[in-house]
Amino acid sequence: MMQGALSVSKFQGRFLHKAWEYFLTLPASLLVGGLILIVYVMVAIFADQIASYTYNKVGVGLPFSQPSREHLLGTDQLGRDVFSRVVYGTRYVLVLSLSGTALGLVVGGLLGLICGYVGGLLDEVVMRISEVFISIPFIVLALVVIAAAGPELSGNPLLLIGVIAIVYAPRSARMARAVAMEVSARDFITVARLRGENSWSIALRELLPMTTGTLLVEFSVRAGYAPVLIGSLGFLGFGAKPPSPEWGLMISENRSAIIIAPWTVLGPGIALAFLVVGLNFCTEGIARVMGRSVQRAPV
Amino acid sequence: MRGIFLPRKAYHANVLIWPRQFKVVQIVIVRTIFRRLVLSLFTLLLVSITIFIALDVLPGDVATRALGRFATEEQKAIYRNKMHLNSPVHERYMIWAANAVRGDFGYSLMSERSVTDIIAPKLRNTLILAMYAFVLHVPVTLILAILSATRRNTLTDNAISVAMLVGLSIPEFLLATLLLLLFAVKIPIFPTMSVLENVKSYGDQLRILALPTLTLAIVVSVYSVRMLRENLIEILSSDYIKVASLKGLTTWQVAWRHAVPNALQPTLNTTALNLAYLMGGVVVVERVFAYPGMGSQLVSGIQLLDIPVVEAIVLIVATVYILSNLVADLAGILLTPRLRTL
Repeated sequence: MMQGALSVSKFQGRFLHKAWEYFLTLPASLLVGGLILIVYVMVAIFADQIASYTYNKVGVGLPFSQPSREHLLGTDQLGRDVFSRVVYGTRYVLVLSLSGTALGLVVGGLLGLICGYVGGLLDEVVMRISEVFISIPFIVLALVVIAAAGPELSGNPLLLIGVIAIVYAPRSARMARAVAMEVSARDFITVARLRGENSWSIALRELLPMTTGTLLVEFSVRAGYAPVLIGSLGFLGFGAKPPSPEWGLMISENRSAIIIAPWTVLGPGIALAFLVVGLNFCTEGIARVMGRSVQRAPV
Repeated sequence: MRGIFLPRKAYHANVLIWPRQFKVVQIVIVRTIFRRLVLSLFTLLLVSITIFIALDVLPGDVATRALGRFATEEQKAIYRNKMHLNSPVHERYMIWAANAVRGDFGYSLMSERSVTDIIAPKLRNTLILAMYAFVLHVPVTLILAILSATRRNTLTDNAISVAMLVGLSIPEFLLATLLLLLFAVKIPIFPTMSVLENVKSYGDQLRILALPTLTLAIVVSVYSVRMLRENLIEILSSDYIKVASLKGLTTWQVAWRHAVPNALQPTLNTTALNLAYLMGGVVVVERVFAYPGMGSQLVSGIQLLDIPVVEAIVLIVATVYILSNLVADLAGILLTPRLRTL
């Protein structure tokens, strides 16, 4: 009895020790980025507890009042508490950017894997189409999609998720295709084919596990840019609609007051910048752990 | 992709020894260039079809959009006839594309002015801004990349790396707003709005363009510094660099004369992407500084649902992107013998 308990705790101790040792080998960028991300996720989950006011409550203080104990980041032109709006904005931005990126990566990644493996006409067609989307810069493509969706859908969160997915899917597809083509030449794929597996099952069961590293890095690069895209669209007036607490929209709403009340712009701006810094630190860390280099391009 | 026309063998092996093979290489290069050109044109064709479908067909009735909700059915019918809206989609596309090739993008739905007349001055302004940003980004990139590559893993390198990562993370509109707050409000040396109408001298133009140029140059440099640094590090570890430094050259001489020329070629791609970005990504920056360029025109075009203007701008941006990629590819082929067989 005694000995059993001892050995269990010994096992746990060894496991924890190993975990701790592994933890120590992780690059600093991943730890810093992870910490920042955890803080953001916590803020998003506990937004109701952290924020002292709801995001659209008007006149909780005098318009443009200075940061104080009651209003940590002051108030905006309608007397709304900027801190509470930033806190609720975390939820909005995190949910939209992560789900949009995930959707784009799943659709594009699967398509890319299949194309890279099967090749032929399907590959040619999909790659030509993805080239079309890639030749239009991020923000312009996003604006075109929003224009094509028509004014009725404007400001709809689902549309924003769709926009992010459409912008990211072709780029992810190319990435996945390149890896799939590289892996397809290996022996175990031939063996799987000889076993009689069909293309879908080879793509999902043989290729996908080999590409997780690349796709993970890809996901984190894309996720790092998604808040910027959402913010830029909000800033231009094509993303979230007022009174939504989206950060880009808040910056654009309060920009004219930047001289008398800089905190109304700096609050959401710093929140956005720190989130993206955290995501990018994570990317660097994940890439280092996976032993891959990060490919970044401005468009 | 590979080898539709070309054999996969590498031809560069004895290029300069045997003149007949030199000719073969030239033919291969010409074929490759020709294939790239055809592919680019094909992509451009697909892009134009996509743009037309996305903007002209999907968002519903053009006549209602142009004439407003209160137009009568008769007015709409006349408008449809005038704009060939009753013909099938592929015919409308043919008309639009045929005119677009000749530089005629139709008439703006809002002002009835020719789209070409509206866009031409905006395109000029955007090109001026992009040119300044591009010129500014070259020395910044070179200095920062050489600094961090030659002092790898020192405090300088780490500081530059972190600064680049932070620069990567700050959205353009935020960076522009912060620069505005700093250099136009706190230290008022530059104007808050980049209005070109009251430009009198060249100095005026520089002063007005300073902040948008700076924003764009920072955003663009971030990517090229990272790229160039990685290339430089790889090259600095090769033997001929060791020989050069053993000859007694200083670090900067080694970097400048021996490493940078070889590191530039892989950077070409990033440079092409940067040029393309400067054409399209200026949207947000132009908006912040109220600069009358293509980006501002695109945003207001979408707000007003002025489809011909939007179509023209997106087509121009995509063309520039495809062209700059093509040029980078071709330059890459001509500069590296290894790539000539691709």
